[in-house]
Amino acid sequence: MHSSLSNLRLAGVAVTTGSVVRDFIADGLAAGADRAALERTAKTIGLRERRVATPGITALDLCADATTRLLNEMGLDATSIDAVIFVTQTPDHAQPNNASLLHGRLGLSKSAPAYDLSMGCSGWVTGLHQAALLCAHGGAARVLLCAGDTLSRLTNPGDRSTDPLFGDAGSATIVEKTGRSSPLHFVLGADGTGAEAIIVKQGGARQPTGTLDEHTDTEGNRTHAGNLVMNGADVFSFTLREVPGAIESVMRHAGYIPATADALVLHQANRFILSTLAKKTGFTEAQTPMSVVEHFGNQSSASIPCALIHCLTERLEAGPLKVVGCGFGVGLSWGAFAGEIGPLTIAPILPLPR
Amino acid sequence: MTRSEQLAALRGDVDALAQADEATVLAALPQWDSLAILLVVSHFEHVHKQAVSGAQVRACRTVADILNLIPSLS
Repeated sequence: MHSSLSNLRLAGVAVTTGSVVRDFIADGLAAGADRAALERTAKTIGLRERRVATPGITALDLCADATTRLLNEMGLDATSIDAVIFVTQTPDHAQPNNASLLHGRLGLSKSAPAYDLSMGCSGWVTGLHQAALLCAHGGAARVLLCAGDTLSRLTNPGDRSTDPLFGDAGSATIVEKTGRSSPLHFVLGADGTGAEAIIVKQGGARQPTGTLDEHTDTEGNRTHAGNLVMNGADVFSFTLREVPGAIESVMRHAGYIPATADALVLHQANRFILSTLAKKTGFTEAQTPMSVVEHFGNQSSASIPCALIHCLTERLEAGPLKVVGCGFGVGLSWGAFAGEIGPLTIAPILPLPR
Repeated sequence: MTRSEQLAALRGDVDALAQADEATVLAALPQWDSLAILLVVSHFEHVHKQAVSGAQVRACRTVADILNLIPSLS
């Protein structure tokens, strides 16, 4: 699906991460892995360290902290927010949704709707599209988009193919209605036939409870039905099959080519995937932020805002930049965007608790 | 590319196969793991402009089976 929306802008962004730094090599050695194998993986995939949340800290806490800091940075009162959208797959509860909990915690206006989007790594773009719709056509002047997860809670420490990849983070993005005519372009899609490539089987209505007997795969990775399980090679194949086309499509709608765009900001899955996508779409590595994952891990739906801050803060504060981006992952699903972003108010990436 | 050139290119891209020949049994290689499978998928994308799935690569028993995934060599 293609959509172009005008008269709105990204006004601000903030990210809060977990506060525990986990070292890929040290953790692997502690788990009994071979050092040479770990170094091979670290070099190929681009893993070094990640930041995970301390016990008791959830995606809601991380996003609430990011929101509070961003509102302070922008000099805004929480009651000025007309709607809140919360993108997460690790909500505090099955009911109510995280957006309602955040609504109450921040003291938002009763006229502000609050709803969740159950999406992962593509979710920030889908949430941005929702926020843009509310500003362009829905009567909202200011929308808060929160996106984040604590996926480290779902992976099994005995699953060395998946557990070392993920960090925990929450983001806050403010989208505002303006008189600006330069549109934001979106291309969104999904392929549900690949839904089992990234899955947590237990915990929903289909399989609410059950035994958590561990299964060991041929490589010695251990998982149970309550763990996030990912088929990395199939997710990589999906990414190569769908993401370049989505990026090329959204650039056509925006009238961009790689040489005229300032940056390609992708979901920070890992350096190997990002490097491959940059090559396939004609972007240089200098145009394509890739360093988030080696500092923070794969942060699910918070990774694109984290890349904007970690790699482009000075340029976005001065803005505008012609930015092309794409999130991709669980679903399987993808969302690409293109348009001018900035000048942007940015609150720095900070851990919680501090 | 000839079959031997294809094998050389595959060995260059996938470290687990650096010393392998066509008869090498993949499961016998110490580095034949999910990362190696990822590198094979990437190799097919870059060198042959061909999409192969992780399941297709996992189903291969020997290096020759991987080469047979290339349409011109199968």
